[in-house]
Amino acid sequence: MTPFDTYPAGVFPAGLQDRTPMSSPLEILDARKSFRTPEGGTMTALDGISLKLASAEFVTLLGPSGCGKTTLLRTISGFETLDAGEVLIDGTAVTQMPAHRRPVNTVFQRYALFGHMSVARNVGYALEIAGRDKREIRARVGEMLELVGLAGMEKRAIQQLSGGQQQRVALARALAAKPKLLLLDEPLSALDKNLRQKMQQELKALQRELGIGFIFVTHDQEEALTMSDRIAVLAHGQIQQIGAPTELYQTPANLFTADFLGESNLLPVKVAAGRAGLCDGQSFATARPAGEATLLLRPEALSVTPPEDHALSFTGTIRETYYTGTDHQIALETPAHGTIHALLRSGSALPGLGAEMTLHAPAQGLHLIDEVAA
Amino acid sequence: MILRRLLSLYGLLFFVFVYAPILLVVIYSFNANTLNMMIWDGFTLDWYRQLFGMETSLTQSATFVDSTDQLWGAVRTSLIVALSTSVFSTVCGTALALAVARYRFRLARFYRTLMTLPMIMPDIVLGIALLIFFITIGMNLSMLTIIIGQSTFLISYVFVTVSARLAEVDTSVEEASADLGATPAQTFRKVTLPGIAPGILGGWLLAFIISMDDLVITYFIAGTGNTTLPIHIWGLLRRGIKPEINAIATLMLLFTLVIAAAGLYFRSRRQK
Repeated sequence: MTPFDTYPAGVFPAGLQDRTPMSSPLEILDARKSFRTPEGGTMTALDGISLKLASAEFVTLLGPSGCGKTTLLRTISGFETLDAGEVLIDGTAVTQMPAHRRPVNTVFQRYALFGHMSVARNVGYALEIAGRDKREIRARVGEMLELVGLAGMEKRAIQQLSGGQQQRVALARALAAKPKLLLLDEPLSALDKNLRQKMQQELKALQRELGIGFIFVTHDQEEALTMSDRIAVLAHGQIQQIGAPTELYQTPANLFTADFLGESNLLPVKVAAGRAGLCDGQSFATARPAGEATLLLRPEALSVTPPEDHALSFTGTIRETYYTGTDHQIALETPAHGTIHALLRSGSALPGLGAEMTLHAPAQGLHLIDEVAA
Repeated sequence: MILRRLLSLYGLLFFVFVYAPILLVVIYSFNANTLNMMIWDGFTLDWYRQLFGMETSLTQSATFVDSTDQLWGAVRTSLIVALSTSVFSTVCGTALALAVARYRFRLARFYRTLMTLPMIMPDIVLGIALLIFFITIGMNLSMLTIIIGQSTFLISYVFVTVSARLAEVDTSVEEASADLGATPAQTFRKVTLPGIAPGILGGWLLAFIISMDDLVITYFIAGTGNTTLPIHIWGLLRRGIKPEINAIATLMLLFTLVIAAAGLYFRSRRQK
């Protein structure tokens, strides 16, 4: 079966609702992979990763460099083989299948376009390889270039294109073969900030329009939060947490996720008899079982005026302030908790540097993590 | 300022030192003086006419007694040898460069070093070694032994040229090709080969030129009936420098320049 047999000829399906429910576009079962380091040791890149796409989702693999996210992507595309575990694409085990036979396509980090070919031949490469006739290829290439906003650029040489345009050609080339799953390996990292934000929105829109699964690799947490249906946070070859962006941001399951996604204040607490107590004696109600835990307090949850469900207060001296246009970033030096970071909407009057200030947190903005910082 | 002028002067002298002898050979090849080529006696094309067997105003004593058949026989031998050696070396050298660059196997770095060794090996040592080798295995010296012998070190030149080019070709382009459904053979034909083609062409031309002009190694392993052009010229020189040699040298120079220019042209065209 070739990747081209998936959809009716001509166009992409209009969306998910048109597709009969079938097996998951991607399923990874207990993937394990380790590499030998040049020094003679071994490095575990994937330490038992399982992942299943429910449908045509936009899933981001997020993590610091060396967390295994790129290795995981390469085991899906077929450029790395697993030591143990299974990869299933559309219900078919592809674990032992070489890259060129897998029905997935990749947008590479530095695009990896064929410099000796025109834009049209780049985009039509997969169809040319599959032996499609010229007229069909030409039609498909035109359609793809229109999709990525490069209509009429068929004859251009790759070297004549800007970085953003090359990015779009790489995207068109990967989509031309109608893959069941599109893999994107940090494709936006080489673009400048404005273009990157524009491409983020376009990619998300494109994924919805095409109704196929996207696996997006990035180390940029903002990018992950903006685009994903679900984010898998990776560290040390394991999935730390997987879930919707809001879920991961507001209720992270562990310290790594809390710290990696956004800014955070992490304060140690002791839970006893339904109340969590801070080291300065303040406490708030919680349903957690007794024991030690960590309180996550996002900087934007803090405010100058006490909220209705006011739970905690922090008083200290202002050590640093940064003005970002929409917000003031404040570092508040408190005697009991060290530095507390806060993000206040600009417009509220701020005392100057070195002045004393009290910030308040609502009960709703408090999240406990069952883990204690080392 | 003075230092700069001195430096310019030094640069000028350097180029005079390098190119003046070659320029002299070219000038002498047009000198009509039959007795002393150092004295300009008027312009003539007689030495060239002589080489191509045309009528000349030269007396028999001014030229070599033998007919130019031997010379053209040597040119023919050299061309056959250079063509076979360069093609053979290009295929083997390219295959080796690909293997060392693209596959992870034991001792890959050792092989890389091993491949550059014949280039720094003294010619005379290689010549003697090859001669002893051919005698030991009982192979009669012939054109085949020249081709085999020259290939042993010309493969190295191709290997180095192609390796340099391969290092510039991003492996992710090959992965992209595989990702889009191309088999390893298709990827090689459509992506890898176009990428390293300038290197292959350059290596081939280099091997061709070096083969055409190799004297030392070839001298040891050439049989009596297989005189290449450099060996023939060497033979002529032993009977004194005659003006025709200037004409032969000038033609060889022209030939080499044309091939080198062709190589550079293809290279620049590919890199656009």
